[in-house]
Amino acid sequence: MTKIVEHKEDEVFDIELEESILKKNEDFAKKNSELFKTHNIKTIDIMGSIGSGKTSLIEAMVKRLKEKYQIAVLNGDLTTTIDSDRVAKHGVDVIQINTGKECHLDANLISKALEDMELDQLDLIIIENVGNLICPGEFRLGAEQRLVVISVTEGPYMVLKHPFIFMEANVVVINKLDLAEAMNVEFEKLKADVMRINPKAEVIGTSCRNDKGIIYVIGALNLS
Amino acid sequence: MHELSMASNIIDIAIHEAKKRNATSVIEVNLVVGKYSMLGLEQLCYCYDLLVKDTLLKNSKLNMEHEDGKIHCDKCKYKGPIPLKEELEYHIIFPTLVCPKCGNPAEIISGRDCYIKSLRVKK
Repeated sequence: MTKIVEHKEDEVFDIELEESILKKNEDFAKKNSELFKTHNIKTIDIMGSIGSGKTSLIEAMVKRLKEKYQIAVLNGDLTTTIDSDRVAKHGVDVIQINTGKECHLDANLISKALEDMELDQLDLIIIENVGNLICPGEFRLGAEQRLVVISVTEGPYMVLKHPFIFMEANVVVINKLDLAEAMNVEFEKLKADVMRINPKAEVIGTSCRNDKGIIYVIGALNLS
Repeated sequence: MHELSMASNIIDIAIHEAKKRNATSVIEVNLVVGKYSMLGLEQLCYCYDLLVKDTLLKNSKLNMEHEDGKIHCDKCKYKGPIPLKEELEYHIIFPTLVCPKCGNPAEIISGRDCYIKSLRVKK
């Protein structure tokens, strides 16, 4: 008689998985990245602290680049269209992405936004992430480049307190240099902190309000 | 800050796998957490315990194993732990991507991710 081995009731067994809990996001990010490549679109994910000047930087960049590129800007925020209204004044396509309560944009939200966009007509997409120096670093969106904005008004320790997001960036912008003296914060010191964490990053000082330093940011992103 | 959605991801994956193999309950979830992932582990456990109620994972245990960060230097081929620097004045210890051997920029090769290594389930 053939011997049959069966699972007993209540049998306990292990399932080997090795599945990343961020896999869903990574899959969407990969899909987005492929879509950008197929349509030959340059993409930048702009992350940074609240009030550091992400929107001001985007406005200043858009002003200089809109003749050269067909640009769309995706503005991420918890709520309101304040940022996208500001950018829209410069005559480029804008989409506001409101996350509700989430502290970061994720690749799925970007993928949804892309569904409504005429990708064939575009050659540059700038994504403004939710203001936060922690979570956005963990969620790749599929953008080709990642830029982090901080400003001198946040004090001299912003970089060392949030090393992880600076590891993710290829360009770091230190904004509001016009206020550096009043804040008693040195640009060179902040720059040195970034270089100690991520020596590959390009660090640029700006004063977006006065339109200073923007061409160097554009150069660092290979957009000039 | 996003521990709730991550805990929810863990539970979704576990339920999906358990159902695929006709398991009736999940007893243990074995998680590997990179030292450089941005998850707060206490919050993660707290959210997990809240979310497992009324699921196949009810009363299950979330075990966590830590994974150290590693870097790789393309130039001198160094492969090893992420070097740490100290700023004693401010009590800050921060990681650096500067290669400890040759000083060139290095890449992170592990320690950023958080993944489910295995599940223990009941048939």
